[in-house]
Amino acid sequence: MGIESADEVHDRTESGIPPIKRIVVNGEMPPVRVSQGEANGAPTHIAESFVIDQGAMAPAWTEERMKVESLGVRFDRKEAVKDVSIEVNSGEVLALIGPSGCGKTTLLRSLNKLVDLTPTAVRSGRIMLDGQDTDLMDDTLLRKKVGMLFQQPNPFPMSIFDNVAYGLRERGTKRPGKKELEPIVVDALERAGIWAEVSDNLSHPALSLSGGQQQRLCIARSLAVRPEVLLLDEPCSALDPISTAIIEETIVELKSEIAIVIVTHNLQQAERVADQVGFMYLGDLVEYGSVEQVFNAPMAERTKDYVRGDFG
Amino acid sequence: MSSLTYEATGIPVESEEADPVNRRVELLLGALASSVLLFIAGMILFTLFKAWPSFAANGLAWFGAGGNVDAQLTDIFNSPADPADYIYKLRAWPLIWSTILISALSVLLATFIAVFSSIFIVHFAPGPLQKLIEPVVKYLAAVPSVVYGLIGILVLVPWINSTFITEEMRSSVAYVIQLDGSSVMAGVMILTVMILPIMIALIVDSLRAVPLNWREGALALGVNKWRAVRTVSVRAIRPAIVAAAVLATARALGEAIMLAMVTGSIGFAPNPFDGFLFFMEPSRPLAPSILDGEEGLSVVPFGETMYAFGFILIVSCVFFSFSGWAIRQSLGRYSIGAR
Ligand SMILES: Nc1ncnc2c1ncn2[C@@H]1O[C@H](COP(=O)(O)OP(=O)(O)OP(=O)(O)O)[C@@H](O)[C@H]1O
Ligand SMILES: [Mg+2]
Repeated sequence: MGIESADEVHDRTESGIPPIKRIVVNGEMPPVRVSQGEANGAPTHIAESFVIDQGAMAPAWTEERMKVESLGVRFDRKEAVKDVSIEVNSGEVLALIGPSGCGKTTLLRSLNKLVDLTPTAVRSGRIMLDGQDTDLMDDTLLRKKVGMLFQQPNPFPMSIFDNVAYGLRERGTKRPGKKELEPIVVDALERAGIWAEVSDNLSHPALSLSGGQQQRLCIARSLAVRPEVLLLDEPCSALDPISTAIIEETIVELKSEIAIVIVTHNLQQAERVADQVGFMYLGDLVEYGSVEQVFNAPMAERTKDYVRGDFG
Repeated sequence: MSSLTYEATGIPVESEEADPVNRRVELLLGALASSVLLFIAGMILFTLFKAWPSFAANGLAWFGAGGNVDAQLTDIFNSPADPADYIYKLRAWPLIWSTILISALSVLLATFIAVFSSIFIVHFAPGPLQKLIEPVVKYLAAVPSVVYGLIGILVLVPWINSTFITEEMRSSVAYVIQLDGSSVMAGVMILTVMILPIMIALIVDSLRAVPLNWREGALALGVNKWRAVRTVSVRAIRPAIVAAAVLATARALGEAIMLAMVTGSIGFAPNPFDGFLFFMEPSRPLAPSILDGEEGLSVVPFGETMYAFGFILIVSCVFFSFSGWAIRQSLGRYSIGAR
C-alpha cells in the first residue's frame, strides 16, 4: 500500500487541469530544496520540479499506530463527527478532505484529546494508540507522541527561537541549554521552509511575522519535538506555492518515520502527498480508501461530485 | 468627481481636508489630558513649595537616621511663635523605613498570592466555585480600610501578642520599645489582605484574556497543564501583573487609617538584625504619620513637615507608576503588535 511509484497520475485533461505528479522521495536521498529561479517560472507545474528519482520507492512498510473506532463528537446537540472509524499508519499519509464544517478539525482534535478542552464537547467511541485506549492514557503523554499543527497559526508571544524551542524546554523535567537546542531549532526551521527568512534574527518576536511565516513557524514548532504521529490541520492554507512545495516535501520525507494526518482543502495537494484519503461530509466519513481509489473510482456519489469539483 | 457623488447620493464622501468635528474632538481630548497633567504637576510643585522649609533646614539629613523621630516631631509642634525661632530638626528615616518595609513586604506577598490564586480561579477551580469566588473577591476590594483596622486591633493584634511574642522577646527589647502585638507583622498581614482583591481582579481578567489557542498550542506539544499556564499564560500577562503591583503599591503607600491602628504608631525603625523579632516590632509609616499629626497642622513648621511627608509620598507614587510603565514596555516586546 502506498508504494505508488507511478508518477503520472490520472487523466485529468478533460477537466482542463494539468496533470499532477506525485512527489516520491527516496528515503535515502538528501533533502532537496527548490531554488527560487526554478520555481518562479511556472507555478502551475511546481509539483513536477519535485519529482526526483522517479523510480524510487516510498517506504515499503506501514505500521498501524492509531485506530479510531466509531468515534462520535457532539457539541451540545450538534453532531460534528458521527460514527467514524479510521486508521492512522506510520509509513503513510492520511489526508482528510471535505467541505468546510464537515468535522475534519474536530476529528483531528479528538486524536490528541484536545477536543476535551471544549466544555460542551461529548466524545464517544474509542481511539487507540498502539493498541492502548487513549482515554486510559495520560493526556500529556498522548500529546507528546501525537503532535498537532493548528488551522490558525498560534505562535506564542515570544521570540522565534523560543517558540521552536518551547516544546523541548517545557515538556521534560530538565531544561536543555541553548547549545543543545540550537541544531534542533535550525533543522526544524529548515524543514518548515522558513529558515532563510528568519535566520538573521531568531530573537525577533514571532508575532510580528506575516501570517504565512507564522504558519511555517508553527510547523517548525511541532516538528522540533519529533512527534510519532503528526496531525496537520491545513498546513499550507496561507502559503505560496514555493513554501507549499517545501512543506509537502517535508511531509513526504517524514512519512517514512512517522504517521501523518493532513487536513486539506487542496485536492491536488491531497493527491500529491497522501496514500490514504478520507472524505467527510456533515460529520460522516463518506469514503475512505487509497488515494487512487478515492480520486479515480470513488464509490459514493458525493465523493465523485466533490473530487470533480461540482460540489454545491 | 467626488462632489458629484456627494450631490447624487447625499452620502458624504471622505474629503481631503481633516474633518472639522474630528479635529475639535482631538483638541478637546488633548486639552483635557494636558489639564490633568498640569493639575498633577501643580499639586506636586505646591506640595514641594510648602514643604521646602523643612527640607531646607535639614538638608539631606532629613532622610537620615538620628535621635527619636517622635521627640523631634513634638519639638517641631512646640516651636516658639516667632518664625525666626521655628524648629525644623527632623531625621525621618524611621518613618521612611517603615513605609518601605510595610509596602514592599505586603506588595511582594500579595503579588505572589494573587498570581497563584488567579491561576487557580481561572484554570483549576471547578466551574461553580469560580462563579462564587470572583464576585466575592471583587466585593472585598470595596471593604473600607477602617473596618480592616478594627478587625486588626480587636483580633489580629491580640493574636500576634499571645501567639508569637515570648517573654524573652519582650524583655530583650524592653529598654527601647514595648511589644504588645501592634507590629510590622500586623500591618503587613492586613495590608496584604487589603490590596489582594484588586490585584486578583486585575490578574484574573488578564488571564481570561489570554487567547485559548496559545494554551492549546502548548498542550498540543505535550506540555502539562500547569507548565503551559505558567510558561505561556503567566508569561503573557506579566505586564498586567506589573500594573497590578504598581496599583497595589500606590494603595499601600497611601494607606493611613488601618496602619495607624495596627502598627503601634511609634516612630521606631524595626531592626532586621533582630531576626524574627523584627516582625513583632512596632513602627509607623509616613501616611499614618500625617494622619496622627492632623491636630498640629495649624502650627506652621509642623504643617510644613507634614507637607514634606506628603511630598515624599506623591513623588514615590509617580516614580512607581513610571517604573511600572518602563517595565511594561520592556516586557511587552514579544506581545501582540510588538515590533
Ligand atoms: N467549540 C465548538 N463548539 C460548538 N460547535 C463546534 C465547535 N467546534 C466545532 N463545532 C462545530 O462542529 C462542526 C465541525 O467543525 P470542524 O471545525 O471540525 O469543521 P472542519 O471540517 O474543520 O471545517 P473547516 O474546513 O472550515 O475547518 C461545525 O459545524 C462546527 O460548527
Ligand atoms: Mg477545520
